[in-house]
Amino acid sequence: MPALTETIALARPRAAAARKGPSRSLDTLFRVCSYGAALFVLIVLAGILGSILYGGWPAFREFGFAFLTSSAWNVGTEQYGALVAVIGTVASATLALLIGVPVSLGIAVYLTQLCPGWARKPVAMTIELLAAVPSIIYGMWGLFVFAPLFARFIQIPVSNLVEGMPVVGTLFYARVPSGVGVFTAGIILAIMIVPFIASIARDMLDQIPTVLRESAYGIGCTTWEVVRHVLVPQASVSIIGAIMLGLGRALGETMAVTFVIGNANRLSASIFDPSSTIASRIANEFNEADGLQLNALMALGCILFVITFVVLIIARLLTRRVKAA
Amino acid sequence: MNAASAIPTVDLTRNHANEGGAVRIAVKGLNFYYGSFHGLKNVDINFHDRQVTALIGPSGCGKSTLLRCFNRIYSLYPEQRAEGQILLDGQNVLDPSVDLNDLRARIGMVFQKPTPFPMSIYDNVAFGLRLYEKLPKSELDGRVEQALRKSALWDEVKDKLRQAGTGLSGGQQQRLCIARTVAQSPEVILFDEPTSALDPISTGRIEELIEQLRDEFTIVIVTHNMQQAARISQFTAFMYLGELIEFGPTNRMFMNPVEQRTQDYITGRFG
Repeated sequence: MPALTETIALARPRAAAARKGPSRSLDTLFRVCSYGAALFVLIVLAGILGSILYGGWPAFREFGFAFLTSSAWNVGTEQYGALVAVIGTVASATLALLIGVPVSLGIAVYLTQLCPGWARKPVAMTIELLAAVPSIIYGMWGLFVFAPLFARFIQIPVSNLVEGMPVVGTLFYARVPSGVGVFTAGIILAIMIVPFIASIARDMLDQIPTVLRESAYGIGCTTWEVVRHVLVPQASVSIIGAIMLGLGRALGETMAVTFVIGNANRLSASIFDPSSTIASRIANEFNEADGLQLNALMALGCILFVITFVVLIIARLLTRRVKAA
Repeated sequence: MNAASAIPTVDLTRNHANEGGAVRIAVKGLNFYYGSFHGLKNVDINFHDRQVTALIGPSGCGKSTLLRCFNRIYSLYPEQRAEGQILLDGQNVLDPSVDLNDLRARIGMVFQKPTPFPMSIYDNVAFGLRLYEKLPKSELDGRVEQALRKSALWDEVKDKLRQAGTGLSGGQQQRLCIARTVAQSPEVILFDEPTSALDPISTGRIEELIEQLRDEFTIVIVTHNMQQAARISQFTAFMYLGELIEFGPTNRMFMNPVEQRTQDYITGRFG
């Protein structure tokens, strides 16, 4: 249709003329800024990773692979190993997930499925407030309030109960029932990650179309069956994402853990015994560290970096698998 | 509703015969409230055994509301309530003593949008069965196949039963949902605008399927599409502003409606 193309050709210059001056330079500037912002993140990340690696390198060179497998941490003899801190980090974070995830899912399911309308806001608000509590408060509360109670009502009775039993007698036996230890750190961490996991899981459950929920009830499911077989699997990708976010937080959390984990460089099979995490070790020692000790702390930092990355990668793989299924 | 009493004799010659026809569901003096909003006003209507009854009317007229009363799915929302009687084989389903899970297995529902559960095609169908019966694997397999065949889906999915139900096309997903419902051997199947999210070809398939399912099930379908109601139903009920305006055999409703409002809606003068 020639007539039509003609009108378009005629219309175009007029439309261009109606615009205020050419803004090409501004457009370029905008593009460069946007690029720069994105690049900035990469540069900062690479910078941090590079400098920590550079700082930790002497320790890696000195101890080699044994740095990972050695449980020594002796400032006097300059013998350093990461094993205790790595195990403490992984153990406390795992405990935090074991305790925190069921609680978080319970909260999310309650809020989205069972909670009467009027109570929804206040409960959700309380949980979000929990996320706003600074970690030093958790640490202080954990050490001065929670730990003594925990020692008196859990550690001592449980230790007495399981003493001498195989496996549990080791796992739940406190040599010094002071209340601090890996398990205490796990509990405090669980309290800290619950608001994150719960609020993301709640949002995800809320986003599930009502019609899916209704059709699950429509074939005669009970609330439990709807939640267990339809809603949670439907939101599973996002829930896994939320859990990994919580895990990331638990792995790196410093202040609260430093208060309650006991800061002992001792390898113990009991979750009631004091230990250290990478973050707590660094926080405790960086102040007076120099020389090889500082290098060893930097090397610990590298390891924490790697652990966090691995968690992230596992999360990606898991969510991809769930998506595909 | 006086219109209901003025129904002439049922004319089924247009559609293939089955022995159905007796009243299966009797609705008596049904009122429905969304909080303080009066959604259904004193509805009386009968649904016939192994017939397709279409509920038509403009948006917000209460046709979906009526449908949602039969399996009491509205009771998920505390502010909604129904008063009156819905007798399924003489038993009032609105009676608080009725077991809801049991009721919903007897009265299946298919929704506006396909709602496959996040599990495999096989499990989507087997899920509803497992809720009620402990079946040995071989029998479960048989029942799943039977349901998929009845839903005209078997040939398309028999080689990929372990794949996710969400990977199917929209029309296939909707037939999967029908299979899920059929598998439970309900007495009644409720369709809430089952083709509103589907393309014309998938819609045609679902309509054929409903036609076939009529041999076995009593069917109530809410539809916005009047041609659809005319094509697949034996009875049609026209609703407006929460009231049942007119009910009768589909032929008569479309050819020769008694009420002026029915006439106006069917001819597209409002709605």
